[in-house]
Amino acid sequence: MAAIEIRNISKSYRDIRAVQDISLKVDEGEIFGLIGPDGAGKTTLFRIMTTLMLADSGSGEICGHDIVRDYYGIRKIIGYMPGKFSLYQDLSVRENLEFFATLFGTTIKDNYDNIKEIYSQIEPFRDRRAGKLSGGMKQKLALCCALVHRPSVLFLDEPTTGVDAVSRKDFWTMLRRIRSSGVTIFVSTPYMDEAALCDRLALIQNGGIIGSGTPEEIVSAYPYRILAVKGPSMYPLLKALRKIDGTVSCFSFGDCHHVAYDPARTCREAILGKAAEEGFADCSAEEISPGIEDCFMQLSGKWILN
Amino acid sequence: MWKYLIEKEFKQFFRDPGLPRMALAFPVLMMLVFPFAVSMEIRNIDLAVVDNDTGRESSLLVEQCTSSGYFRLVTLCHDPDEAQRLMDENRADAILTILPGFDEEVSTGTGLPAGIKVNTVNGTKGSIGAQYISECVRMYLAGKNVNVPSDDTPRMEISEKYYFNPYMDYKLFMIPALIVIAVTMITAFLPALNIVSEKEAGTIEQMNVTPVSKTAFITCKMIPYWAVAFFILTACLAIAWAVFGYTCRGSIMLLYLFTVLDIIVMAGLGLLISNYSSNAQQAMFVIWFFAVIFMLMSGIFTPVASMPDWAQAITYLNPMRYYADAMRAVFLKGSNLRDIWYDAAGLAALGAVMVSWAIMSYRKSD
Repeated sequence: MAAIEIRNISKSYRDIRAVQDISLKVDEGEIFGLIGPDGAGKTTLFRIMTTLMLADSGSGEICGHDIVRDYYGIRKIIGYMPGKFSLYQDLSVRENLEFFATLFGTTIKDNYDNIKEIYSQIEPFRDRRAGKLSGGMKQKLALCCALVHRPSVLFLDEPTTGVDAVSRKDFWTMLRRIRSSGVTIFVSTPYMDEAALCDRLALIQNGGIIGSGTPEEIVSAYPYRILAVKGPSMYPLLKALRKIDGTVSCFSFGDCHHVAYDPARTCREAILGKAAEEGFADCSAEEISPGIEDCFMQLSGKWILN
Repeated sequence: MWKYLIEKEFKQFFRDPGLPRMALAFPVLMMLVFPFAVSMEIRNIDLAVVDNDTGRESSLLVEQCTSSGYFRLVTLCHDPDEAQRLMDENRADAILTILPGFDEEVSTGTGLPAGIKVNTVNGTKGSIGAQYISECVRMYLAGKNVNVPSDDTPRMEISEKYYFNPYMDYKLFMIPALIVIAVTMITAFLPALNIVSEKEAGTIEQMNVTPVSKTAFITCKMIPYWAVAFFILTACLAIAWAVFGYTCRGSIMLLYLFTVLDIIVMAGLGLLISNYSSNAQQAMFVIWFFAVIFMLMSGIFTPVASMPDWAQAITYLNPMRYYADAMRAVFLKGSNLRDIWYDAAGLAALGAVMVSWAIMSYRKSD
């Protein structure tokens, strides 16, 4: 049985189509990433799967429970951590945890081993009010509260948004540990670099899934080759590279440009030569393998074509 | 589970920096300060007397006025212009002019050459002040035992007796009404703000993914405020008794019964407000709108009967009208349920509408 299976889910807010015809299948015990930019429809999909919202059409099950008919059954077996910190700020760390444990009819003690690893990091502050915690600790507390009743599926909506790079890394380490205890994790993120950390992922754009699979599958399906080009004056270079025959797209990625080119029509030397003709003689170009972000760019169809 | 939900609400209530203090200060302030502040009894009317006669009779009349306790004699002069100037400068509220020959005409009973001029910028103070002066003149004449105008037609004596509040004590009149205001504020508007703030904080969403039902969650949210409302009712009654010596003429249980009815209406209203507003600012504005309408159209400050017909029609939709009417009737008159069944019926009807509407809109917000 799949942990999560949804079929043809659509949802509109008045005339804005937030989610269109999405189907997904998540196996038990995997970390499934939903990767997409802000406004792609990630949170809407989360709200539908966590029974907070009804879809306009489509169906789905979480661990065999229907998301419409058996919403009550789902609420007992999922943990949900919304993107915004939403625990009681005026209750202490311990009180928050106790409160959420009681709502699920359990206690901290019974499930201590389940949350120990994370809770031990915030336990020194257990009498501090949640509102007075730092951002990283708030996130850990929220994760504890979502885990305290031993959910089968954990929904994390943009858990790392607004968190520093080190904490983000820690967080993913925690997720891997949680997965090893058998929990299925459904996580969304706007950060492409986190995509590689998922077991499987789906790329979402404008309310639709534009690609899915393991990170390797997605990368290997990339149809072009990529050159990382560096040069002295980057912006004119970007415009020049886009005009070169045989390049499919060119985007700025940090300190270099990723030029996607069709190997049947051109090659590294040809591109460098063309660039030199345009007055960019001292460019360096390096063949690199595509990342998830390159795939996302290609799949989302944001091409500046020639 | 209910126990923990309620426990959490109480914890949050008592942990709030302002709420517990407010709940305590509210009844005390209501009972000890407001009855005096909102009193419509007119005292300290500044009176200027223009005495153009300076006879024995005129000074008797002036004495009658000043000894009544309602007036403060600002000046006793002979120049009408000076008195007018005092009124223009707002130092005199009323002018009593005694014309020359007052002594003589009153003694012979041929006339009463005196005039009253009242500043009615503040309408209430003006009209009541004018009444007081005429009353003083009447008393003075009664003391003189002369008939003015003296004729031989048989006269009708009209004497008044005030029932239920014989001394027209405004404080006694206001105390049940102040309880009404306090209970309404606490049970309708505080829970509404509380629910909206959970919405704003996103915690309500976190609650909605737990197996806790929405009904349980909302009910547990309101229970502390109901407790506070009953605390305030009890405290107000105790203070009214301890400080002013007022006791409820009717059954205290009836006061509590009507409070329960009012709480049901207000719980519905509070939930409605929270359903239709997405942040505290919106909720505050809606609350303010209802609070003003409820109070001004409830008959608490101005009698419903003196409103125009269309305004009276609106008051039938105002729960505070029924609640205030019932509380006053029970507290001052000792009415029983049979006397004021229509108030109970009004509250119950409004409660049924409010609560079902609130539940419907709450379900929809799913």
